[in-house]
Amino acid sequence: MLFRRIYQFLIVYIIGIGFLLAIKAVLSLSDYVIPGIPLVIETAGQVFTGYFFDVMNTLSVTVLGQGISIIMAFTVGIAGRKSSWIGSFIKVTAYNIQAYPIVALAPIIFILLGDGFIPRLMIASMICYFPLLLSVLGIMATPVTDIEHFYIVTGRMRWQLEVKIRAFENLSKLTTVIAGSATLAMAGTIVAEFIAANAGIGYSIRIALYQSDLAKILIALFMIGIIISIYQGILETLGEVIKVKWSISKKGEVL
Amino acid sequence: MQLECKHLNFTYPGSDVAVINNLSFSMKNPGFNALFGPSGVGKTSLAKLIARGNARYDGDIMWDDMETILYTYNLERLPGWSSTGGHLSKVTPPGKEGLKEHLVQVFELTDVLGSRFSQLSMGQQNRINLIRYLLQEFDLLILDESLANVDEKLRETIILAIKDLFADKMFLYISHNLMEVSKFCRQILVFGKPSENKGCFMISGQDYQNKYHLDKKKLDLTMLEIMNAF
Repeated sequence: MLFRRIYQFLIVYIIGIGFLLAIKAVLSLSDYVIPGIPLVIETAGQVFTGYFFDVMNTLSVTVLGQGISIIMAFTVGIAGRKSSWIGSFIKVTAYNIQAYPIVALAPIIFILLGDGFIPRLMIASMICYFPLLLSVLGIMATPVTDIEHFYIVTGRMRWQLEVKIRAFENLSKLTTVIAGSATLAMAGTIVAEFIAANAGIGYSIRIALYQSDLAKILIALFMIGIIISIYQGILETLGEVIKVKWSISKKGEVL
Repeated sequence: MQLECKHLNFTYPGSDVAVINNLSFSMKNPGFNALFGPSGVGKTSLAKLIARGNARYDGDIMWDDMETILYTYNLERLPGWSSTGGHLSKVTPPGKEGLKEHLVQVFELTDVLGSRFSQLSMGQQNRINLIRYLLQEFDLLILDESLANVDEKLRETIILAIKDLFADKMFLYISHNLMEVSKFCRQILVFGKPSENKGCFMISGQDYQNKYHLDKKKLDLTMLEIMNAF
């Protein structure tokens, strides 16, 4: 799973580079506009180590931001699963807020909090929080009647059991959503760094952009792609391990 | 112990067609009774109303000397995070461990207690589900095709064991098996086909107990009576 993610990224990256080189060849563009392969390799030699630590810096904010948003999404999703007025209120609020582009709020956060770690973390969490919340709300608010019926009619149902049943029945969906939200968290962090920050790969891309250095940007994109692929691959592998440990394959799926 | 319905009418919200139309019947005393009829005539709807569902209906349903009514159906599942034996132990009330062991043996499930629910055959799944209901406190247990996908011989063994072990309880068995219902049920509420405008009829079954002697003539008559009713 981990290697498949990396292969997939490499294929997309190579196609993208190939496309740029084709444009360069067809329009006879200089290395200043689109760098050739030797220049890209030379630039990689210069910035690889620095960019690696920048991406790791960004990743640390991403992981923390995603962790916070997962905890928040589960807390609110579990509270909002009931069809009571508070549940309906949470659902309607979540649906309305998620329709608003959170990135547009980034300047306000930077004005209020300035550059640094906290604004980056906030934006990363907010960007991946709402899609996560909608998925968790959808899962937690949908009864698994065939399993829950017994516990309800015999008076054994508790909220912890209800959450456990619904989470277990939607384990694949949950792990996919969590792995997918890593990309959103990474995008949020990079956007935050891109707008106003003093560290991270987004900050380095901004500098490269002011220098009109496409080679550096291509290297940065390569680093981001590889690291996020590894991170997503690890999340998916963890999800599989949990699934295997908690449940086992169904008879019908084997045949 | 008595279950009685008087002029019961029920229509699903948003529908113009009544599923249950002016139904009146009475079932007295503990025993194994049945709801019988073709698909879509309202057997499950009636069962859910009897089990004190939240749906609104016209008419009266009266439960005399019945505190706990449980409704179980054949598509129910046990959670998949631990073995069926583990789940069964968790839902067994204190003091009923012996009954659990006995039921597991009668239902021929001893070998699958270590398996997860999803690993069982459909018949095994239905049997393990039924056991956990039988272990609970109840006065009336409604079995909605709870023995579907179980072979005939074992089904007979299970029904006779239930009648033997729970002689002081009332059961309402929903099944499409004419022979089985005629043989083992005391009172059979037969639902007529709505297209033919036939009402519901209460027919007496043979109510066979353990080690019964089969009277073919009487059984044929009961079956004929049921067939004529729907």
